Amino acid sequence: MQDQILIEMKSVQKWYGGYQALRNVDLTVRKGEKIVLCGPSGSGKSTLIRCINRLEAIQQGSIVVNGHRLDDSIKAIDVVRQDVGMVFQSFNLFPHMTVLQNCMLAPIRARRISKTEAEATARKYLERVRIGDQAEKYPAQLSGGQQQRVAIARALCMQPKVMLFDEPTSALDPEMVKEVLDTMIGLANDGMTMICVTHEMGFARQVADRVIFMAEGQIIEEGAPDAFFRNPQHARTRQFLGEILAHH
Amino acid sequence: MTPHFGLPEFGFLLRGLQWTVLLTVVAFVGGCTAGLAVALLRTCGHKGVEWITRIYIGIFQGTPLLLQLFVVYYGLALTGLKLDAFVAVAIGFTVNASAFLGEIWRGAIQAVPRGQTEAAMALGLHYSSRMRDIVLPQAIRISLPATIGFLVQLIKGTSLAAIVGFIELARAGQIVSNQTFQPLLVFGVVGAMYFILCWPLSWWGSRMEARLALASQR
Repeated sequence: MQDQILIEMKSVQKWYGGYQALRNVDLTVRKGEKIVLCGPSGSGKSTLIRCINRLEAIQQGSIVVNGHRLDDSIKAIDVVRQDVGMVFQSFNLFPHMTVLQNCMLAPIRARRISKTEAEATARKYLERVRIGDQAEKYPAQLSGGQQQRVAIARALCMQPKVMLFDEPTSALDPEMVKEVLDTMIGLANDGMTMICVTHEMGFARQVADRVIFMAEGQIIEEGAPDAFFRNPQHARTRQFLGEILAHH
Repeated sequence: MTPHFGLPEFGFLLRGLQWTVLLTVVAFVGGCTAGLAVALLRTCGHKGVEWITRIYIGIFQGTPLLLQLFVVYYGLALTGLKLDAFVAVAIGFTVNASAFLGEIWRGAIQAVPRGQTEAAMALGLHYSSRMRDIVLPQAIRISLPATIGFLVQLIKGTSLAAIVGFIELARAGQIVSNQTFQPLLVFGVVGAMYFILCWPLSWWGSRMEARLALASQR
């Protein structure tokens, strides 16, 4: 079971008009794997994970998530989105709903579970991201770090098989980065399959099974964090690591 | 001898006011319903449908309301469909309002950040839930000041209905003025009635606008 493949991308190509955002991307993610995607801005790492839950359509290649091939059919997109949770850089909480309502909406609407059950699940996950006491507040009343933890809880309430993180700490004030990373580390330790686009290399060292470096829409190299950081193979990777590690 | 402006005349104006209010309510409720459909079609993502809606909006925003009322009243009569004056103007105002409200709400729907829709999609929510639960509640708040502004315009605009012989407040004023030869007094009263109707709405609208501006600063 440990080797079950959850995501398989094959020869994925994506264009925005004449601009090619993804070039021939192959990626296989097994159950329980934690993957960190890094690379300079515009390298296609966000685009890559946004293709996995079909926020972006691909033009060539194939993506299979948990045994379901992602095509243009609403049914396929639906099934895949039920299995894939996503956390955004800008949180994207629903501002007109309380924290609790944010977490209850999708399970009620998309999974069709009862209100009571949805509330119990929501409170459980809010507790888990240590924000249970803020359930009745509105997103605007919370700090950035708290909002992002609510966003994580909201995604977990759908009980996804995979979690995608799209630069989850980039919009946060420095003092709030840690609380969100700690939440993510907790999730990783519980065995969640995760793909994280992030520049937090400390996080990558601590939890990643694989670190993948992208540039110009291609996967340049990948490896276990130890080898990846100690001995990057490509000049492009070394240059990138040199640039971002200089700040730490 | 000519009658002076007294209670019976005032009562006549009040009945005119009643028709003005009724016409406004019908046109606004109808316009809201149809306008919501217009706004949703205008933002549905299907190029062909969006174009057709765009042309629909363009026609009703780009021609005089007066002309539209003529078309409904006289045009439909030519096809053998003889409509009561109230029904004709109600249809005319409703269709016109649907185009304007549709355009107001189109803008409001598009003003809701893209990330809201993306988060809803990522959570597996379908179009109907995304609209009903996420986008429209926020869009309505955004559009409230403009919607109230349009309602005020609509109330005053219903005076055009007089042109096809429908007796609403302005037309009633004209009739009373012709009978009493006291235009200043009569139209003063008529103006006051419009003002009492419109001013609280305008005030409410600008208060909403101020509150929204405050909320977006947070």
